[in-house]
Amino acid sequence: MPPPDSSSPGWRSAGRWVRRDSGPVVRPYAVTGGRTEPADGEVLDVIAVVVAMPGGDAEDDDPQRRTPEHRRILALCQRQATVADIAAGTGLPLGVVRVLLSDLILSGAATVIRQRSAGLRPGNDVLQEILNGLRAL
Amino acid sequence: MAFAPSDPASDAVLTAHKILIAGGFGAGKTTLVSAISEVRPLLTEEPLSTASVGRDNLVGLPNKTTTTVALDFGRITISESLVLYLFGVPGQERFWFMWDELAYGALGAVVLADVRRLDDCFPSVNYFETRELPFIVAVNCFDDAPRYDLAEIRLALDLDEDVPLVLCDARQQASVKNALIRLVESIAAGNPATLSAQGRRLTIGR
Repeated sequence: MPPPDSSSPGWRSAGRWVRRDSGPVVRPYAVTGGRTEPADGEVLDVIAVVVAMPGGDAEDDDPQRRTPEHRRILALCQRQATVADIAAGTGLPLGVVRVLLSDLILSGAATVIRQRSAGLRPGNDVLQEILNGLRAL
Repeated sequence: MAFAPSDPASDAVLTAHKILIAGGFGAGKTTLVSAISEVRPLLTEEPLSTASVGRDNLVGLPNKTTTTVALDFGRITISESLVLYLFGVPGQERFWFMWDELAYGALGAVVLADVRRLDDCFPSVNYFETRELPFIVAVNCFDDAPRYDLAEIRLALDLDEDVPLVLCDARQQASVKNALIRLVESIAAGNPATLSAQGRRLTIGR
């Protein structure tokens, strides 16, 4: 029987790094211009849902304002997507995605879809829907 | 993915919920998440470049030579407008800074336990007890681990009677699915009907 985590693509085996993808060669926060805090100060939850705004300046190609990473993120939120989805889809660290997303939100190119307050427990109707979904797997 | 061109505004609002998968290093979090997730993505968080060689306790884990330095992240689409996310929270102490953020707004948690190193899951159990976040303990049935009675394990963990304790094979989707169902059922059981009716109406953004 395989060891518990042998199914995961190895991060390191036989003493060498074998990354799933070779990843960017620049340091992660280079793509944010060294910024580590979102421009608007709001730290988006990992499951906050964002979506690109129609007509929201998506074609802005000025490299001063819109980097290739901004555009990749914008492409991923043409449909509603969570911060986690975007981080996984771009291969960028969560912190970097938050910074770049805040730029897009501030410039009106994307918006956060407000959810129920995360502090509240979900109602039983939501839990029932989740149970039904899990049982159907 | 073949999506019809859509006006994002006309789509049903997507609601996302998260469940945390906790437990000690090597308890099987990665395995569990990949057994049930429809995708196999990894999330990274930035300050993770430190090699863990010599820092992680490998005693009793003969086959474990690497640590998961990224966040395991799984996705289960419940419906067009409801998605459940699983986040494996890194068990090592140096990653605890991520816990509060991930736990914020979470539905609940599954604490994976390995009977060979039961004390490894004490910090997770303590964490969720303190935060009053609903959780269950799932004992991962490793092939080479000794078998214990659930009552013995409950005693060893000093676990409240109302915290569900289940056996689980983290490699098996059906087994993981049952563990998640137990968790959601126990959340619903602790949810007074009136509270839920109230909670639904409030949509305070954050």
